[in-house]
Amino acid sequence: MTTTTLEAPVAAPAGRRAGGARRVPKVVWLFLLVPALVEIGMVFWPALNSFYISLTKWNGLGVAQPVGLDNFRALFSDEVFRGALKNNVIWAIGFGGLSVLGGLALAVALNRPRRGVGLYRSAIYLPMVFSLAVTGLFWRVQYQPDGTINTLLGAVGLESLERQWLADPTTALYAVLVAAVWRQVGYVMVLYLAGLKGTDPTLDDAAAVDGAGAWQRFRFVTWPQLRGVNTVVFAVTVIDSLRTFDIVWAMTQGGPYHSSELLSTYMFQQGFTFLNLGYASSIAVVIFALALVFIITYLVRATKEGADT
Amino acid sequence: MVHSELSRRGFLAGLGGLGAATILGGCATGSSSDSGSSSNSTTLTLQSSLSDADPKAALTKVVGDYTKTKVTLNTIAIETFRAQLPTYLNSGNPPDVLTWYAGSVARDYASKGFLLDVSDLWTGNGACAGFSPALKELSTGADGKQIFVPTNYYWWGLFYRKSAFQQWGVQPPTTWDQFIALCKTIKSKGVAPLTMGTGSTPWVASGWFDYLDLRINGAEFHRDLLAGKHSFDGPEVKNVMEHYKQLLEFFDPKGRSYSWQDAVTPLASKKAGMYLIGAFITTAVPSNVVDDLDFFRVPIIDPNIPVAEEAPTDGYFASAKSHNTQGAKDLLSYLASPDAQQEFIKLSKSSNLPTSQKVDTSAFPPLVQKGIKHLNETKAITQFFNRDSSDELQTTADTALTKFLDKPGDVNSILSAWQASAKKVIAS
Repeated sequence: MTTTTLEAPVAAPAGRRAGGARRVPKVVWLFLLVPALVEIGMVFWPALNSFYISLTKWNGLGVAQPVGLDNFRALFSDEVFRGALKNNVIWAIGFGGLSVLGGLALAVALNRPRRGVGLYRSAIYLPMVFSLAVTGLFWRVQYQPDGTINTLLGAVGLESLERQWLADPTTALYAVLVAAVWRQVGYVMVLYLAGLKGTDPTLDDAAAVDGAGAWQRFRFVTWPQLRGVNTVVFAVTVIDSLRTFDIVWAMTQGGPYHSSELLSTYMFQQGFTFLNLGYASSIAVVIFALALVFIITYLVRATKEGADT
Repeated sequence: MVHSELSRRGFLAGLGGLGAATILGGCATGSSSDSGSSSNSTTLTLQSSLSDADPKAALTKVVGDYTKTKVTLNTIAIETFRAQLPTYLNSGNPPDVLTWYAGSVARDYASKGFLLDVSDLWTGNGACAGFSPALKELSTGADGKQIFVPTNYYWWGLFYRKSAFQQWGVQPPTTWDQFIALCKTIKSKGVAPLTMGTGSTPWVASGWFDYLDLRINGAEFHRDLLAGKHSFDGPEVKNVMEHYKQLLEFFDPKGRSYSWQDAVTPLASKKAGMYLIGAFITTAVPSNVVDDLDFFRVPIIDPNIPVAEEAPTDGYFASAKSHNTQGAKDLLSYLASPDAQQEFIKLSKSSNLPTSQKVDTSAFPPLVQKGIKHLNETKAITQFFNRDSSDELQTTADTALTKFLDKPGDVNSILSAWQASAKKVIAS
């Protein structure tokens, strides 16, 4: 099904590419071949193998036993997996929504040159330079029972809101989410700042002269010009939210009792702690399929919109 | 736009490759992979999981003193080691000697034929011949052959600060009722009687589970339970949880955010009274507190049950596929020798005990002396939940017990969910 929708757009540029190939010197192909082989051998080949392994029962020892679709059947009766899937949906919406909204708002606010704006931009981008594991450790300290957050709540008289953020199953996932968004928002802001630099300021001025308000100028003049950036931001956000692993692992390891488990952490645990490599691969396949569905739907829609205009 | 084109192209290439993968996929799992460690008949490889600074330096020194054969020491971070261990053992050119744990986890590898039979080390003049029968039993596979060389072990107990107990005017208890009374007294002083870090190290909650089961149902039942011969939602385990429930009001509630190391801090600063933990606690307390630290046995609940204690045992096994089995056995003999044991324990700064009775322990600190006596007065020895079962069963315990700590009222549904997931693990 997916192949038929995709073959059509690829067919058109194919002729152009074949024509271009004749002009490229042979030695360039040779140079391209080396990284291509490395990529195929080190990335695509192992990735494709996980499809095969997902149809087997294998603990890393001896020969894998093919079990057909048993792993996938077991997955959907596995409560932890269903919980992780639900958490992933919450995560994708929360992480994607908050970081895109926050990043866009900050980009628009900090777009115009003003005194000290560089300082603000750097400060907001700063968390991005820390690795996710470090971010996780940093926030874990803030969330400690006697950490900054509870101390601040106590200082302003909100003792009733104090809790053990990471040890409480009702708050653990959201506590990790805040930490992840805190880091991602600077990244999305930079992407949108770059996009805003690419917009035509004369259009904005013209709309202002025509009497358009700030919101109208943003919605009908600036926003349509950000479509290219939106594609990138969407793809980056979906991929980042599905592959989120390190920050959860550093902060809660999916606990307490699986309440902050994501597909990626569950896959890691099954694969590398329990050596259920077949089962873990089937979770990996589900993650891959989800990422693909999101991105293909969006790309197909984006290309269609592009063709319409 | 460039971005989208690349994705499409990559996707089509992927679909093409997928077909090939299903045909050729067998290659990935069929052949054994090379673990990267090489050895020939002249050099021995020792794969070590002791990645903490002091134990690593200690083993490096001990191995450096071995002169018969050249030994390459590979130290790997413990979580990676745990995950890769089956791969190491299964590779075509495995490490000759590896560090690991005695008990059911070693037995499991032996039953797959991965471990070298070291029975001759346990007889005649062998290096392990003088070790206790309990250690021998622990190092014996299902087929009656010895496959493990234990070199040190440690004990568990309820640790406390002597000066704090003096200050509160309390004594270590010996019976359950005395213990509960002690907890109440300490609580009345505004101090949390018990500390336990179950945040990032939820396995610590199994310490109390193991001990209560040992005190109420005995070591034999406990081993059988962990082997899947009894049910986690049976009346025996329910009784254990009834006792566990009595303790819940005495735990420092902040412990569920802490790691086991974090939870030592309240004990060290006298904001908590006692901590059920292994002797490795001495590496986590400030050096000026170590001498003030003491411990007592988990109180007896049923005096008719033979006293059992947890004494996790560490050591080495050798790979069955080693190219130099004689050399591997010789290295194992050296590592098990009294001198090597003593040097390792001294340099690694732990409170571990030697397995060789020939080690002169008179120079060990009084706390360790007490630990030796503590275990000598014990009828039955178990390891710890994960070592007596598997790391996978441990996670079912972590889920069940941390949930129980939060919602003790749901104990029945928690236990039946535990039984269901344990059954799945044991069957797999």
